[in-house]
Amino acid sequence: MPKNSKGIEVAEILPDQCIGCQICVAECPVGAIELNEEGVAEIDPELCVGCGKCADVCPVGAVSFQKAKAKGKVGAKRKEKEKEKAEEAVSGYEGMAVFIELDGDKGGDVAWELVGKARELAEVRQTKVIGFLLGSDCREIAREAVAWGCDEVHLLEHPGLSQYFSASYGEALTQLVDRVRPEVLLMGATHQGRDLAGIVATRLNTGLTADCTELSIDEDSGLLLMTRPTFGGNIMATIYCENYRPQMSTVRPRVMQAGDRDPEREGAIREQEWEFTLQGLPRVVESVSEVSAEEVDISQYPVLVVAGKGACDEQSLPLLQELADLLGGAVACSRPVAESGILPYERQVGQTGKTVAPKLYIGVGVSGAIQHRVAIQGSEKIVAVNTDPEAAILQIADVGIIGDYARVIPEMIKQMRERMRS
Amino acid sequence: MHIVCLLKQVPDTAEVRIDPETNTLIRAGVESILNPYDMVAVEQAVRLREQHGGMVSAVTMGPPQAEAILRDALALGADQVYLLSDRAFAGADTLATSYTLFKAVQKLDGQQAVDLVLCGKQAIDGDTAQTGPGVATRMGCSQLTYCQEVDWVDPKARTIQIKRKLRDGFERLRAGLPALLTAELELATPRRCSLPSLIRSLQAEIPVWDADSMGADRELLGLKGSPTWVQAIFSPQPKEPGPQFQAGEDSSRAVSEALEALFRDEDFAEKLLKH
Repeated sequence: MPKNSKGIEVAEILPDQCIGCQICVAECPVGAIELNEEGVAEIDPELCVGCGKCADVCPVGAVSFQKAKAKGKVGAKRKEKEKEKAEEAVSGYEGMAVFIELDGDKGGDVAWELVGKARELAEVRQTKVIGFLLGSDCREIAREAVAWGCDEVHLLEHPGLSQYFSASYGEALTQLVDRVRPEVLLMGATHQGRDLAGIVATRLNTGLTADCTELSIDEDSGLLLMTRPTFGGNIMATIYCENYRPQMSTVRPRVMQAGDRDPEREGAIREQEWEFTLQGLPRVVESVSEVSAEEVDISQYPVLVVAGKGACDEQSLPLLQELADLLGGAVACSRPVAESGILPYERQVGQTGKTVAPKLYIGVGVSGAIQHRVAIQGSEKIVAVNTDPEAAILQIADVGIIGDYARVIPEMIKQMRERMRS
Repeated sequence: MHIVCLLKQVPDTAEVRIDPETNTLIRAGVESILNPYDMVAVEQAVRLREQHGGMVSAVTMGPPQAEAILRDALALGADQVYLLSDRAFAGADTLATSYTLFKAVQKLDGQQAVDLVLCGKQAIDGDTAQTGPGVATRMGCSQLTYCQEVDWVDPKARTIQIKRKLRDGFERLRAGLPALLTAELELATPRRCSLPSLIRSLQAEIPVWDADSMGADRELLGLKGSPTWVQAIFSPQPKEPGPQFQAGEDSSRAVSEALEALFRDEDFAEKLLKH
């Protein structure tokens, strides 16, 4: 342990482990820590009083200090006084709630996936699953929500909610959540869900964690642990929300699995009243759904043949299409291919494109940047065809073929066809 | 018109990695940049000022070195910039961040009434897309996320019309001012900075606002004002790679062996091949 001129044993930051989150900067009682030019925390040894607080709060164990390093134990940071205050703030909240996002005149798939997850969490917490449904004329969907696993559905039907607006839905959902008081609120990380979640969390003054890929309940504290990719998917972070309710999280479509639909399932449908008083909502001048006959939603296909930079030419497409057609799939692409204009952006898989989870993913000339790998990790099987044996996609492929796609794909089509015949 | 841009300095995420052997962050060569979506927002703001006159202000919350992206904003054409920097801001989650930025917008509104706030749809390091809606909610103004085009702004009638992306298409909305817009990349292509503006940006003094100068409630700032806490950070579990097959001149053998490996799982073969 290094000592400063006062003889105090000081803490030290391990620069290669620091992620620059600044939590220690905020926690240091004497202001001895600052971020340096490289975005790494640095401790001024002359100011350090050796209290070890920075070592306690560092989520990645990047502080070297003699006191045992606490690795962010849930609930450990709370002081007694704050504890009482916090317990008051979180009491009276119960149940796992899901915002049922609509997809046209039915419930969106992501809503049922979240209900499936909420059921799991509710079993652990021994509580109920709550659905929040907003719209006009959607009683049928409320019954669907029960069939998918909701114990009670709070239904707010109003002509003013026939179309999604940030302001009207934000107001309505905030009111509903405030009345029902669930401990957890899950929403799809869709365009609508992300637009809405930030409003509701801000209005209710609670924590919101975006794009979670994993949700579980902490055994000791009963808190929701929310794990999400960060830094473009290179790092995973587990987040919790201790002193505020509800604990809110958005989850991307096709990450969780819907449970079994049971039309006989019983549940309560509670109609909620709402005074529609909002003035000055935006006016929709034009609304265009771009999904036409020739456009495909790649997330809906059981097989995807994905063109990467290594197969980014006009000649490759008929070949890949033939393979996709044979297997009942679709052709998708990686970012460089979409950027080249050979395939439209809606076919793009990746962080800025779509998350997919087909039964079979065949990457052709896809190098497998981290953003792409994160978006395909839900695939049942991954096949990679690449000339480069070092391509990153091979790290997660179930089967790799090293070779030129122009030779490999025709052969694959031929052999697949033979297998399908036999 | 007074247009405010909310900016964030981010690490170039394509470069951030964890060393699988030591499980530590590899930082070497990772640059800090202006969030690309925010850069688009600045460009759009400057274009609107060129059409309608007025002023573009830009702010960012961050440590002292975040002033670099304010210089970028000046080079792109922003008129004035402020660095929101205070030890009390450290460790903020999106709730505390949106409060801090809201206080800055309020202060700017005191200088000259704010008509529009522009920011990127999300930052490339956190990807949350929560800060824009958070600020809009606190302002109580029109919230227009995922903007792809600004059709027009009518400062007299206090209205704006934009095209915004939907899951399966787009919509054009007409909304009242003030409004907060979050930018998709296609909203505007940032211009090349001219040499004079670049020199001006490098010479500029960057004023700093701390918590007190914005009249912020310290309970709502930084770590204190943040409901969410990080429990742990780790590297995604790498999957065990499967077998690889070399396809040379004659690829039939490699393909045959590869398909054999793929379809070893009979349930999978059944599902896939009999549709």
